[in-house]
Amino acid sequence: MTRTSRLRAVAAIAAALIWAISGCTVIPVTGPYAVKDQAGGGDPLSKPFQRMIATRPQPTWSAEQTVRGLQAAMAAYADDPKVLPQYLTPEALRNWTPSGAVTVLDDQWTFDMGDYDGTEPVVTITLKAKLVGRIEEDDTYVPQSGGWERPFQLVKVEGGGYRVRSLPTDGLVLTRSDVDRAYRATKLYYLSSRTPDRLVVDNVRLRLKPTETYAKIVLERLLKDPTAALKGAATTSFPPGTKIESVRSGEDERVVITLSGSFDPLDLSLQHALMAQIRYSLNNNDVAKGRDIDVMVDGELYTNYRPNSDQSWLDNGVNTAYYVSRGAVHVMTKEGPGRAVQGPAGQPRPGYSDFAMSKDGALIAAKTSTGISVAGLTQEGQWQEVIQGAPADLTAPSWHRDGSLWAFDRKNKVVLRYDPASGRGPERVSAPELKGWDVTNLRIARDGVRVVVTTSKNAVQLGALTDVGGLKLGNVRVLAGIDSKDTIQDVAWRDDEHLLLLVSGKAGQTLNEIDIGDGEITEIPLKDPLWSVAALNERVLAEAEGEKGKGHKVIELNPDQTWTAKIDSDAGGPLFPLG
Amino acid sequence: MPPTKKKRTRRRTLRQILGGVRRRVRRAAGRARSVWRRSLHLQVVTSTLVISVIVVVVLGTFLSTQINKSVIDSRTRSSVSEAAADRLQIADALTSETDEQPQPPDGGAVSLNPLDDVMDTVTGSSEDGSKKSYDVLILNPASPGKSRASGNVVPESVPAGLATSLGRNIKNGEYDTPVASIERLTFVGQSQPRLTYVVGGIVHELSTGQNYEVYHFFPLDAEEELLSNVRLAIVVVGLGLVLLLAAIAYLVARQVVTPVRLARQAAERLASGKLDERLKVRGEDDLARLANSFNEMAANLALKIHQLEELSQVQRQFVSDVSHELRTPLTTVRMAADLLYDAREDFDPMAARSAELMQAQLERFESMLADLLEISRYDAGAATLDLDSVDVTKVVLRAIEDSEALAERHGTRFELRLPHEPCMAEIDNRRVERILRNLLFNAIEHGEGREIVVTVGADRDAVAVAVRDHGIGLKPGEDTMVFDRFWRADPSRARTIGGTGLGLAISREDATLHGGWLQAWGQPGEGSQFRLTLPRTAGADLKGSPLPLVPPEIEMRRTWRGTMTPVLLPATGDGAAHDED
Repeated sequence: MTRTSRLRAVAAIAAALIWAISGCTVIPVTGPYAVKDQAGGGDPLSKPFQRMIATRPQPTWSAEQTVRGLQAAMAAYADDPKVLPQYLTPEALRNWTPSGAVTVLDDQWTFDMGDYDGTEPVVTITLKAKLVGRIEEDDTYVPQSGGWERPFQLVKVEGGGYRVRSLPTDGLVLTRSDVDRAYRATKLYYLSSRTPDRLVVDNVRLRLKPTETYAKIVLERLLKDPTAALKGAATTSFPPGTKIESVRSGEDERVVITLSGSFDPLDLSLQHALMAQIRYSLNNNDVAKGRDIDVMVDGELYTNYRPNSDQSWLDNGVNTAYYVSRGAVHVMTKEGPGRAVQGPAGQPRPGYSDFAMSKDGALIAAKTSTGISVAGLTQEGQWQEVIQGAPADLTAPSWHRDGSLWAFDRKNKVVLRYDPASGRGPERVSAPELKGWDVTNLRIARDGVRVVVTTSKNAVQLGALTDVGGLKLGNVRVLAGIDSKDTIQDVAWRDDEHLLLLVSGKAGQTLNEIDIGDGEITEIPLKDPLWSVAALNERVLAEAEGEKGKGHKVIELNPDQTWTAKIDSDAGGPLFPLG
Repeated sequence: MPPTKKKRTRRRTLRQILGGVRRRVRRAAGRARSVWRRSLHLQVVTSTLVISVIVVVVLGTFLSTQINKSVIDSRTRSSVSEAAADRLQIADALTSETDEQPQPPDGGAVSLNPLDDVMDTVTGSSEDGSKKSYDVLILNPASPGKSRASGNVVPESVPAGLATSLGRNIKNGEYDTPVASIERLTFVGQSQPRLTYVVGGIVHELSTGQNYEVYHFFPLDAEEELLSNVRLAIVVVGLGLVLLLAAIAYLVARQVVTPVRLARQAAERLASGKLDERLKVRGEDDLARLANSFNEMAANLALKIHQLEELSQVQRQFVSDVSHELRTPLTTVRMAADLLYDAREDFDPMAARSAELMQAQLERFESMLADLLEISRYDAGAATLDLDSVDVTKVVLRAIEDSEALAERHGTRFELRLPHEPCMAEIDNRRVERILRNLLFNAIEHGEGREIVVTVGADRDAVAVAVRDHGIGLKPGEDTMVFDRFWRADPSRARTIGGTGLGLAISREDATLHGGWLQAWGQPGEGSQFRLTLPRTAGADLKGSPLPLVPPEIEMRRTWRGTMTPVLLPATGDGAAHDED
């Protein structure tokens, strides 16, 4: 090899080396290749939130600014309880307590400062705002309306600035923004006292904490009793004395909940109920969705949940829709018209109305001219009158998921319950809170706990079937009121949390969906006049005025809030089992 | 009263313990040093290990620093830009609030705060937002309800230095200059501090003149973990590299050192006289060539030694033959010379003197011939011992008696240092007496007329006789040459005794034949000493001598001069290596 060729070879090797080095990237281009999907990887068991930082009262602040600062300190009180007392005089500190219900006001306030010119040693400022709601001590959010006008008395202090000497009310006063910021509407799931295989949702507002995950806050609340609305009607499966030690993400993104307390490892029903409460309370609040959940007790696995396992704790029975055509009950198919049901209910029978289907679709009830009759949906089935009374004296029948039939006897002002399995006649159920009310509708929710009652006074009241000291319809509270000139035409449960209320009045007919948790009302647009409504989760059916000569029709609500006719003529009284 | 047992406890003081430890450490260090000096293998491996450790530490530190810098720089850059974007959003939101603020009819202020909206966006708290990797704190202490935070940061989380710097910027109107610091902060509800990059900036609301301090808290946990992993990887790889290099050095050194060690062992065996020792030759590398050369050298050495042995044998045979052959004519000449000598009185003076001279030279010739024949016997291996158990002291006295005439002539006096007990040993009386006579004659001749000290010593295994003169002594190296045949210290010096030059050589052969040692010591001006050591039992191995080779007064003088370690002159000859002195 000559010198020239050697030099060439060296140059070629050097060039190749430089090219190779410069071509080497830090991150090589590779793939495609299969990767392990990390389910729930973006769910850190907590949702980001912001919070108010309270500021101490400043000497340069006016009386109005001091009240604003006080309100900000109230908003931050749960996180930083040291600042709020600095706004108060010793007298106010003695007389005022932050505990109690939280008053929620609208964000827009005004201050009435009277003749205040800044020189007075004592100033009284009246805060005016719209009342929005109240958060009870049991975390119930009660929507409210009306004005809120309260005086705050402030005194000037040495060195400048003011301190609050008297507050108008105990408890914290927050704005809607404060609540949105620091509270989260949460669904808690408890076991129904009467049917322990079914969960009941309880809507609460939980205060977020910067030091705890939302999952832990939810579970800690779940250890306590449900809110007053479900008192005696639902219960928690956690044994007394249970503590949530930790909630963390473990291997494979699973959620590991460590509990302490006395658990019976052989009580499988307790295990299942406890896991159902945990699972639904986390998953339905967008926490730990699609993730495995392990519950550990004293370091050992107590029970676990896999996302693909069976979910029957919110079962509502069959979801077949029915309608009534020429007095006969028909099954509604996907296309619309279907065959008549078997048994007497499938045959035209004048005078039968307000049909109601039992949970499993085996029994049907209807109001007749002499009372309420029940028939089996079989060839051998016969109508059998179970509750006697004039049509005007009885509300439409409503099935309970335990198989009993309920109605309100308007003449005797009592709630009636007929249990076909008991072999006895209807029995009276105590409902002291309905005393004096002229009940026009009584509908038992599919969870078997909540009961909606409408009265002739146009009030929608929500109660619960409690089991404390015998079966009772209690915990009744007014959910919403409507104009006294309007008429409640029909009411139906859509799901465990929403009611449909058909109201007709001077301004026309409205169909409202009411959230029983926060009382929020959403109006569903109507195209045709409606006669009745029925709903089951996503499906909403209504009996509407049909075209001329065709009688009534059954229409269905689409996801885009429009209506589609399912059965064009001679159809009405749509119904789903229960609800 | 029963006798009390006093347990005698031996308690060592701390100083003694420390001394013991120090001695052990010193001994261990000495052993290690010795192993280190003797093992080329160990030296190579250790050097490689040390150098590679230094290189790995330097490179690892550099690498770690560079990676640290890159990661932190990248993170801080992105954090600063994220913080700037957030501040811009906040500023926009606050500006629009000022622009679009609705005025309530009754003149009161509006509580609606766009801070919530922008905080929702910034912190990802809104419905469609996603959680951000950092927390934000907005502080406006001058205005009520205008401070917000996300996560678990509180105003106390802000590092004091950072807050001061930001306050200074506000004071100086430098609203566009963010400040940042990396701190280890403990947030509310956390037990362990977290490494956090805090960026502080100002949002200045022009319309109201209010300032919002906006702090971003970027956790550096991931970066810290990454850098810890990188550092761990560097340490592990570095350690592995060092061990690998040590292993490589060990193997490579072994490849080189093993043949060298074999060569050394072969050379040692060759040196000990095993001339058939050869190295195995493997391959063609340098070590193979070294082995080849070694083998050739060994072969040549063996050949030369063989040739020299043959030559020496021929010479010895020649001397022996000549000596024998000369005896017959010499006997005749001697007889004739005896006749002439006996009749010398009848001759004229000149002839008579010639007869006397002839008689004297013939005696000397005979003596020389006798020595030559004796040497020849040794060379031929024909010398044998006529052993007898003898008191060496008596042999010494007989030898002195034989030497007294000569000593008188030289004016020399003997000083005898003899033991009281007899020094019995199995020796050939004649040969030992000849040795002693030779030593005494030699001492008289070179003693310059000074006193000669004759010492006899004995121990369990050996007896020894030392003859000390105080003459001109020996120059360095001469203590071995004195036993060479025909060697003369000063050729110009006239012989007074008329020795043949073979006396000491024969004496040494005699001593060797007994399994003993004959050794010499001398220094110029100090005289010399010859020591004969013989085993008490013929054939037993000598382990030492009962008498020192170096005279005690000389040894003492050396010690006095400050040389603490006694200097032992090289004791050459048989048994020199065993000399305990």
